[in-house]
Amino acid sequence: MSKPIDLSVNFAGLKLQTPLVLLSGCVGFGEEYTRIEGFSNADVGAVILKGTTLEPRMGNAPHRVYETPAGMLNAIGLQNPGTRYVIDEVLPRLPHHETQFWANANGSSLEEYAEVAAMFDDSPVTAIEINISCPNVKEGGVHFGNDPCMAAKVVAAMRARTSKPLITKLSPNNADIAETARLCIEAGTDGLSVINTLVGMAVDVENRKPVIGNISGGLSGPCVKPVALWKIHQTRAVADKHGVPILGQGGLTTPQDALEFAITGARALGLGTGLFYDPLLCKKVLAGLEDYLSRHEMDSFEQLVGSLKV
Amino acid sequence: MNSNRNTIFEEQASVVAHIHHPGAQSILRLLAPKTAKSAKPGQFVHIRVSDALPLRRPISIMLTNPEKGTIDLLYKHIGEGTKQLSERKVGEVLPMLGPIGTPFDVSDTSKRYVLIGGGVGVPPIIFTADALAGKADVVVFAGSEVEFPFALKPSTFILPGITGNTTLTIASLEERNIPCRLASNAGLYGCYEGHVPSLARDYLLALSDEERSRCVLLSCGPHPMLHAVAKLGRELGVPAQLSLEEFMACAIGGCAGCVVKTIEDGQEKYRRVCVDGPVFAAELLPEFS
Ligand SMILES: Cc1cc2nc3c(=O)[nH]c(=O)nc-3n(C[C@H](O)[C@H](O)[C@H](O)COP(=O)(O)OP(=O)(O)OC[C@H]3O[C@@H](n4cnc5c(N)ncnc54)[C@H](O)[C@@H]3O)c2cc1C
Ligand SMILES: Cc1cc2nc3c(=O)[nH]c(=O)nc-3n(C[C@H](O)[C@H](O)[C@H](O)COP(=O)(O)O)c2cc1C
Ligand code: FES
Repeated sequence: MSKPIDLSVNFAGLKLQTPLVLLSGCVGFGEEYTRIEGFSNADVGAVILKGTTLEPRMGNAPHRVYETPAGMLNAIGLQNPGTRYVIDEVLPRLPHHETQFWANANGSSLEEYAEVAAMFDDSPVTAIEINISCPNVKEGGVHFGNDPCMAAKVVAAMRARTSKPLITKLSPNNADIAETARLCIEAGTDGLSVINTLVGMAVDVENRKPVIGNISGGLSGPCVKPVALWKIHQTRAVADKHGVPILGQGGLTTPQDALEFAITGARALGLGTGLFYDPLLCKKVLAGLEDYLSRHEMDSFEQLVGSLKV
Repeated sequence: MNSNRNTIFEEQASVVAHIHHPGAQSILRLLAPKTAKSAKPGQFVHIRVSDALPLRRPISIMLTNPEKGTIDLLYKHIGEGTKQLSERKVGEVLPMLGPIGTPFDVSDTSKRYVLIGGGVGVPPIIFTADALAGKADVVVFAGSEVEFPFALKPSTFILPGITGNTTLTIASLEERNIPCRLASNAGLYGCYEGHVPSLARDYLLALSDEERSRCVLLSCGPHPMLHAVAKLGRELGVPAQLSLEEFMACAIGGCAGCVVKTIEDGQEKYRRVCVDGPVFAAELLPEFS
């Protein structure tokens, strides 16, 4: 019998049981997908909780989601019950023995980001993703992410307050994503999430109104995949030099997509919109990876990561 | 750990029958045994209508047949998704999630459940009536502005407050001994001429205070109708449960895309229509109170 294929990965000092990561905002506060028969936390390396701010946020008025060609728009507006509540009420109930849970930290000031980091430092999350690229809130969010120096300041402020791995989520709207990545690495990030959503809108012609309550929304799904792959490719030039891993995301909806992300340089593979299309996608992607690796005589997923020939 | 684990099934539902009715309405029968077995009235399914539109569409469950493993849906063609759904033929397979959502609360069998449905809001009303037949006191009022997509017949039940030409009922409800009357503004024969909440109001006003105090309104339909039902409930001091709609992405509680505003303990919140709803007590909804 041939050796079993090792799908586990080392990511920012963590051992993930598989490279699959369920993306922030797509899986609530951790346990929603287990409602579905056949879904298993054992198939995923980590689950990232919905974006969390220091104080609770109500979020945006509906409509918040809308299907667009090969994708969708969303403008949730970071609806969340606040960091204290997540730590006291949500985290204790999660099955930490089944998979890892990561926080997704948000703020409208450096102080808020730092405070959220300090609070999650003393919690069972195994890593903190920094969302400096949310397009759907009026303050903070993408405004930090679009300014490379501000992005690095957010990372530094959080770095000073936590020893947990920090994963900085970069915006595709960045003029020079590699430079932002470099500054964030220097400021102490342990990993990079590439990419967050692009910004878009849709129009209801009968009523001559924007469909989305917030007017604009974040565009995700297959339509952004080519952008994601290119941004991963650009980011990798810097990240590899510092040994900083990339959590690739943006339109990964099929096993084939997973291969493209991994080959381009994503050490972890993010599933968001793809879960809306197919809530049992994880098993299919894992099977696709195993099949490909065995056909190409590789015995671990890590051998595939960044194997792009250019 | 989530106490709702393994309550929603992904089924490859094949089309068993697909019948098209006037007014761009269709009744779709799907083979989905797990959903058929566990669905409760007020719950819905999330269907991938075609590969071209991978985000699914939510549709209420109208009836289940647990023995045969089938579910019936009634939907109106309003846009690209429902149009593509209407093109699916017998034997084709539709990936489907179900059953989803918080059902109507019909746990108190000492109540009289007054069911009010409008248009393609009628399906959950039919399912609820069917489930309660022989178990609790039920009366149904259904409204439509196009021909009803059901066989109709004269009702043998006499209902207080209902007069004149309001004679027809839905045949399948009559067979299950569920009293029902119909309303329409389209001049349909045998139907009350007006909006369905007005018909329900005539009925409720004709009840004794004691009878009325046992009533609970359960309603699904277009927004103006739900507003009228909520108002009726407030006017007569009868509690109302409303089934709502909102655009959805995941339909399992993951994205918070499908929200409606509620007021709970004096605090405004956005609740998810897919799993916290689609049924909400009217008094929680500022839009309806
Ligand atoms: C819990 C629930 C139960 C429902 N039950 C039924 C039913 O039994 N019969 C029936 O005919 N319809 C029902 N609907 C409405 C049905 O989901 C929409 O008519 C359908 O999604 C429209 O899709 P479309 O692509 O044809 O329309 P489009 O207008 O082209 O849709 C564009 C997008 O908006 C969404 N959308 C548009 N209108 C609605 C709406 N009213 N509710 C939710 N999403 C909407 C669509 O899902 C799609 O993502 C229900 C909705 C919900 C939320
Ligand atoms: C409904 C929805 C909500 C989201 N909320 C967040 C969030 O709170 N924080 C965040 O960092 N990203 C959020 N995102 C972005 C996703 O995590 C992901 O980066 C993006 O959707 C691209 O991946 P995908 O195409 O696989 O969905 C959200 C995306 C969607 C679709
Ligand atoms: S549709 Fe995603 S939470 Fe309701």
